[in-house]
Amino acid sequence: MLKLRLSSFASVKLTIAIFAAILVTILLGAWCPQESAGGFDKVVETFGAPMALKLRDFGITDIFHTPFFLGLIGLLTVNMIACSVQRVFPKVRLLKQALPFLSDREISKFPVNSSVQLKGSATEVFAVIKAKLRKQGYTVKTSGEKLTGEWGKVGRLAATVTHIGLLSLLAGVTITSWTGFTGFKPVPLGTTMSFDDSEHSKQWLGTLPKWKVKVDATRREDYESGDAKQWYSTLSVVDTAGKVLKTQEISVNNPLSYDGVDIYQSSWALDSILVYFNKQAMKLRLQQMGGTQAAFVPLDEKTILIFSLRKQDAPVRVFGKIPEWEQPRLLAEIPQGSTASFGAVPIRYQGPVPITGLQYKSDPGLPVTYVAFSIIMMGVMMAAIPHRQVWVYVQATEEGASAVYLGGVSRKAKRAFERSIATMVEKLKVEFGDNAALDSLDSASVLVTGTEITAEGEGELSLSAKST
Amino acid sequence: MSDFQVALTNTAGISSVVSFWVFVSSNALNRKREILVKLAQGVMVIGFAALTAAIVTRGIEAGRFPLANLYESLLWFAWAIMGGYLLISRAYDLKQLGWLASLTAATFFLYGSWLPAGQHEIKPLVPALVSYWRQIHVPPLIVSYAMFFISGLSAFMQLWSAGRMAAIYFAIGALVAGLSAIGLGTFTDVNTFFLQALFVGGSLAGLTASWLSLGKIDTKRVNTSRAELYDEVVYRSIMIGFPLLTIGIITGGLWANHAWGTYWSWDPKESMALATWLGYAAYIHLRIHHECSAEKLSLVSIGGMLLTVLTYLGFNSLGFGGLHSYGKFK
Ligand code: HEM
Repeated sequence: MLKLRLSSFASVKLTIAIFAAILVTILLGAWCPQESAGGFDKVVETFGAPMALKLRDFGITDIFHTPFFLGLIGLLTVNMIACSVQRVFPKVRLLKQALPFLSDREISKFPVNSSVQLKGSATEVFAVIKAKLRKQGYTVKTSGEKLTGEWGKVGRLAATVTHIGLLSLLAGVTITSWTGFTGFKPVPLGTTMSFDDSEHSKQWLGTLPKWKVKVDATRREDYESGDAKQWYSTLSVVDTAGKVLKTQEISVNNPLSYDGVDIYQSSWALDSILVYFNKQAMKLRLQQMGGTQAAFVPLDEKTILIFSLRKQDAPVRVFGKIPEWEQPRLLAEIPQGSTASFGAVPIRYQGPVPITGLQYKSDPGLPVTYVAFSIIMMGVMMAAIPHRQVWVYVQATEEGASAVYLGGVSRKAKRAFERSIATMVEKLKVEFGDNAALDSLDSASVLVTGTEITAEGEGELSLSAKST
Repeated sequence: MSDFQVALTNTAGISSVVSFWVFVSSNALNRKREILVKLAQGVMVIGFAALTAAIVTRGIEAGRFPLANLYESLLWFAWAIMGGYLLISRAYDLKQLGWLASLTAATFFLYGSWLPAGQHEIKPLVPALVSYWRQIHVPPLIVSYAMFFISGLSAFMQLWSAGRMAAIYFAIGALVAGLSAIGLGTFTDVNTFFLQALFVGGSLAGLTASWLSLGKIDTKRVNTSRAELYDEVVYRSIMIGFPLLTIGIITGGLWANHAWGTYWSWDPKESMALATWLGYAAYIHLRIHHECSAEKLSLVSIGGMLLTVLTYLGFNSLGFGGLHSYGKFK
């Protein structure tokens, strides 16, 4: 019953249809900015609001998470498993079967075949052909004056290897989607991050870590120009009892790994500054203002205090702005930890609060995925190898003369194979001398039958020949 | 950019044009054909050698791997077209693929030379590209694109040898629409939606019309043996290009995982490469299961070539975004 149901999915026509559907879906996803990457704003910016809303209704703005796309991937998986089990993997058995030795008549039935009469004894000619084929890389087996040769046999494993790789890839991705999680969190200096609001798939079977991550220090390193060169954060892994389990400084491209979770430095900002007005603490939010960051404190209807900070360790510059002044005026420059007085009000600058953007992920399927990647690469490379089989029979026709019959198949490079056989025959004729006078057939020409033997048919030919 | 390097690049560009004309004249002068084809082939070898030297020189001058912007990738592409053709013509006795290959190389040289000067200069890399992964990830992709082009060109020859003239005209129409969209998008400010419509609409309409007119056969022109030969070249080129594309996509994933902690993020260029990959996977399965005639397979390969163009050049010129754009330069 299961077999019956499985086999209805084992259709290559279905495969092609699914390929086409996935291809079109992916093209749509490449064309339309995806919400998961740039947010819905990006879609609106590209297409304008009415069109963007319509695209969202159709699921195109987040196409790779639609049930439609996931369904297609599911269907492809079933199709691939069915096909692999029923049609691809069983072919491995063919590899073990030795090629049968064939007679002149059987050889002349091959789509690529040739016969030639030579001035040379059968043993001599046979030895030369054997050596030539070996030199070309064929694995040669002989029996009397009959010979079989095979080239690029590993190429026949290509489909099996590739499909095993693809199935492993699906396994790796599935493991991750069922047990892995990801997330992003902006974490202010000195505070702790948990994994409670991480993202994971609906059919999730995993568990989230109980331990947390504390940001002990974080800083930005600049180029001389003032552009960001690198961000660093020192993180501690802390367990529920508050015990520190691991400490490490991370930077872009240099994550912290603990208990299967990788934590990446992904962004960085100065979030706010801590200031005391008259001993009263205030946290002022910083905003980007050209090359610097600034916080705005309206004192009354007309007067604004502006705190401007260029760098993490620079002093804060305090400006005042009233309508009568065209430009804000610099009132004071306060180093970290110092106080300046503004009339009766002392203002103490405690320091900035940097915020570090931490990206984290747990990808338990990754080792499987990586193994799958290498298997797939190997498989597709193997598919480029054109498998070739040749059969040769050398028959003594009289004292010091012989007839040579060559033939074979190459599923993937028939014409190149044909050319190599023709070249070989030409070389033999030069080496031994054409004995065409004795030939009943037109020995000089390479006979290539024009019959439409399909590649599949050619592949089977060696098998059916075996049973004879 | 040193004069020496410019001279080498120009030699390669001029060689591609010269070999194109010699290939063409070999068709016109039937008696001298063999010699002219050999000559054209020789000019191509010179061009290939000059371009190899130009790319190496550029790398030495820049002190980095010379594959970092669109201009440099076009040099690689032309290099792979020439080299790929020379390689294939060793295994097969091809007469007509030569002019198509040299024409393609020449077109891409021209495209490259029209790019703004900023693209030609050697510039330091943006931080995201400073990684040894770059030289593992990008060359296989560019070479795979070139192999897919050779496959597509060979598909045209297959259709020609099979006497499918009507189908060829429509397929050329599809290609012209696609390439015009790319050209307009690179060098002018035409509305991107119009260009996208031109590319997609033109490709679809052209290929569909071509498919529907496969039944029309000009029997006088049919040369079954040639058609079979070109069919095999279409297939062999794909079987070289496909593993390279696979390797390119996977190493890209490894790089991304190394740099951002995720190997796949549905970035437009990533997605497009995957779509192209699926297109050729479809070709391979159609082929080994004999679902299609050789002519239909040729059209699948031409469709694949359009997907390749879209993946390779569509992103800068047709206004798709993402991490992979070489940077706007208009
Ligand atoms: C999802 C459904 C798929 C099905 C049902 C399927 C089915 C098949 C079958 C039946 C074969 C022929 C095996 C043989 O004759 O020895 C094959 C070969 C192959 N398949 Fe798939 N396949 C699928 C997906 C894929 C994908 C996504 C790829 C992507 C690379 C792929 C790559 C290959 C390769 C490289 C070969 C070997 C071709 C050759 O030996 O020339 N397959 N496939």
